[in-house]
Amino acid sequence: MFQFVLKRLLLAIPTLLGVTVLTFILLHLAPGNLAQTLAGENATPAQVSRITHELGLDRPVYEQYAIWLGKLTRGDLGFSYRRQASVLSLIGERIGRTLLLMGSALALSIVIAVPLGVYQAFRRNTIFDRAASAVVFVAWSMPTFWFGTILIALFAVQLRWSPVGGLQTIDTASFDWPSRLAHLILPAATLALVSLAGWSRYIRGSMVEQLQEDYARTARAKGLPAGAVLFKHTLRNALIPFITLLGGTIPALFGGAVITEQIFAYPGMGQLFWQSATDRDYFTLLGMTVITALLVILGNLLADVLYGVVDPRVRYD
Amino acid sequence: MIDATLTLPVDEGFPRRRRMRVDPIAAAGMFWIVLALLACWLAPYLLHIDAYATDVAHAYAQPGGAHWLGTDGLGRDELARLLIGGRITLSVGIVAALVAMLIGTLYGALSGFYGGWFDSILMRVVDVFLAVPTLFLLLFLAALFNGSVLTLMLVIGFTAWLGPSRLVRGEVLTLKERLYVEAARSSGAGDWRIIFRHVVPNAMGTIITTTTFMVASAMLAETALSYLGIGIRLPIPSWGNLLTSAQSDLFARAYWLILPPGLAILITVCAFNFVGDWLREKQT
Repeated sequence: MFQFVLKRLLLAIPTLLGVTVLTFILLHLAPGNLAQTLAGENATPAQVSRITHELGLDRPVYEQYAIWLGKLTRGDLGFSYRRQASVLSLIGERIGRTLLLMGSALALSIVIAVPLGVYQAFRRNTIFDRAASAVVFVAWSMPTFWFGTILIALFAVQLRWSPVGGLQTIDTASFDWPSRLAHLILPAATLALVSLAGWSRYIRGSMVEQLQEDYARTARAKGLPAGAVLFKHTLRNALIPFITLLGGTIPALFGGAVITEQIFAYPGMGQLFWQSATDRDYFTLLGMTVITALLVILGNLLADVLYGVVDPRVRYD
Repeated sequence: MIDATLTLPVDEGFPRRRRMRVDPIAAAGMFWIVLALLACWLAPYLLHIDAYATDVAHAYAQPGGAHWLGTDGLGRDELARLLIGGRITLSVGIVAALVAMLIGTLYGALSGFYGGWFDSILMRVVDVFLAVPTLFLLLFLAALFNGSVLTLMLVIGFTAWLGPSRLVRGEVLTLKERLYVEAARSSGAGDWRIIFRHVVPNAMGTIITTTTFMVASAMLAETALSYLGIGIRLPIPSWGNLLTSAQSDLFARAYWLILPPGLAILITVCAFNFVGDWLREKQT
């Protein structure tokens, strides 16, 4: 087990290096003078030449990469001249909020998708199953931002049950949990849409397969109630591969967070990413891409480890 | 990266009566796709409506009369914009899906066919791309190459080939062991001939099914990018930017502008997903 985790961590290093190369290539695809773009439109020539010198932009590309990578390994993600702050502090300020949003969406999605999928499989090919499948297909085919706007129009504007957006009510000066949670509900519901459809379809398919297995029929024949068979026997087996699916959904959740945070003016990483993309704050984009990739890789590793924990048949070699 | 794929159960897809050859839901999906294509490409000529002609005197006209779906804030005919926008969104979806499948098929086929260290390196590269959220890549690329409809197609296509390449690779890994490959080789066929004449055609089922789903997700990508302000740029209409601007038109109480583009996206994406789902089930 320990060896497996260690091996996977070591294997993650080339992938992460690959991500840095990829993002660095993307950076150099940028048209125009990079130092000028980084400094902003109103920068003086002296500032531009200072940035050029600091980043080694007057040197060959591989040296620039080495300089950047060297800083990266020391935890220095660069400096955002646009925002006059280090990229690390910009991310640090927002990453918790985005992870909280993603976590809530993940939880919400599981709480809806798993029971729905289980019940659909149990009542397979009935009217309920067909209707639920139709709803899931619609959810799957809906633009995220449209769904978010409908939620705002309905629950925030018409019914006034929820705030329209933001992180917390402005006049509260300090950290305010109830207000933060109230501001989290609609964004989490919107982001949950990203994964909901795929997961409930997956659970349904997986449960249908498990219910046809001999062990499920045996349990039923012994006289166990249907609920016990569903939740104690088949669901456990159906959930095992689902863990891998959870790990694989993390990138999509980060992507969905960009749109969700934009709809709800939620100041998280997604919003920062969008802002940096529009004003070409490349170092912030690079830093966020690297940090996100690190989280994605760790998430997948965690999923693989958990997979082995819940399924003793899996062996780590 | 993920080793558990072998134990994944087959996705059952939409529940349906099994005896029918073309099930009604997939047939409805195909019917809608054909209808939408015909309407978007032919109707603007037949109805003599212009998507770009502004008429400020008749801004925010309600549906009915000369403008079946009303007009927008500049007095442009909403029906015309919806149809021309459909051309843009549908062609972005279809072309991006074809680009993605072309890259994905080539990449996956070569990787799976040659195997060994070549395969490992190519798949590590896919892992690298998969570690970066697709929308991040899209934003990055769209910010770098802002502009035309063509670049948007290429950008979306270029970020969508990873999934297909893995699927095709998986198919090719089993297909290359078949006897007909051995037969072709013993009659002197070269690698390229075997890959593109024998292996890839047999993976065509997977490729076509995936392309159908890809069209749906590429259309959704267009709407997402348009919402974020880096998709199709006004005045060129697309379903994505029509829906986006309809949301701000709500402040002018122009509620009739929000449903047509929203429903057009929803139904068309659903239609492609239905057809894709049926194709996938037919294969198994």
